[in-house]
Amino acid sequence: MWTRRHLLARGGGGLAALAAPRLVRAAGTEVLGMRGSARGERVWFAPQGLAVAPGTTLRWTNRDPGNSHTTTAYHPDLYGRPLRIPEGATPWDSGLLLPDESFEVTLERPGVYDYYCQPHEMAGMVGRIVVGQPGDPGWEEASADPGDLPDMALMAFPTVEAILAAGRIDEEEPT
Amino acid sequence: MLKQIIIAASLVAATAALAQEATVPTQAPPPAPYQEVSKLVDLPEFLPGLGTLYVDPATLPAGPFLAYDHDGKLSATVYMTPLADLQGGTAYDDLPVGAPEVTSVDIYYNAGHPGVEQPHAHVVLYHDADAKSRLAQ
Repeated sequence: MWTRRHLLARGGGGLAALAAPRLVRAAGTEVLGMRGSARGERVWFAPQGLAVAPGTTLRWTNRDPGNSHTTTAYHPDLYGRPLRIPEGATPWDSGLLLPDESFEVTLERPGVYDYYCQPHEMAGMVGRIVVGQPGDPGWEEASADPGDLPDMALMAFPTVEAILAAGRIDEEEPT
Repeated sequence: MLKQIIIAASLVAATAALAQEATVPTQAPPPAPYQEVSKLVDLPEFLPGLGTLYVDPATLPAGPFLAYDHDGKLSATVYMTPLADLQGGTAYDDLPVGAPEVTSVDIYYNAGHPGVEQPHAHVVLYHDADAKSRLAQ
């Protein structure tokens, strides 16, 4: 089953020519998974943290055969949540994706984008995308305000430094 | 914390084992007020490990959820009990059971899913020796 829902997050015009750091992947399409253990004890985004160049399209696919997931940006326009994406960037909300369904978004504006899975935020199923790098025109740091996020979510975000150093952060698979 | 969860879930299972039997057919679908879970929320029709679930929405979150295999045979009765509710003193007493015979019980943690989004325990009462394998995939 393939459901393609697409949203272009605007606001990054004129930035495409910026040089990407070594570990920031070139613009294109990056594939992310929504994963879960067999009995649903653990749920996570894979990767949990990812560094990309402005203009990269991100495609999330639900790879969890026993659960539904969303990718939802933290933004006041979406369920009144705290702003945790760059100011002016368009937020996204996939809605619940059944197994093998996908959702795409293209991120243009440099900065840190935090997002979550609606049914699993309390379980710490959150992710962080770093678009560009500090120093890029218009760059916005990660939000330091915990807002109304549950502790499990706040503790699960990889640091921006770790994401930029490694390019991607994957949670360890349960054994 | 883990010990508390196990104790709480075990108490739920013990309670369920003594609970009253529901009057439900052994072949799907059960009559109203039971409804198929995948038609109530966005979840797959057949959940690996749980099968095709039916529930009376008025009994959420605990259930019972009636679990049927691919051939529509009643294979398990499932309860979903939020950990925070248990820790807060909520008790789930006298829950109906889908069938009188229970051959084994599994209890495990679930991080949440549409319908029961809070972290909770799954208490699964299997109604015959092969039920678990039929519900696996």
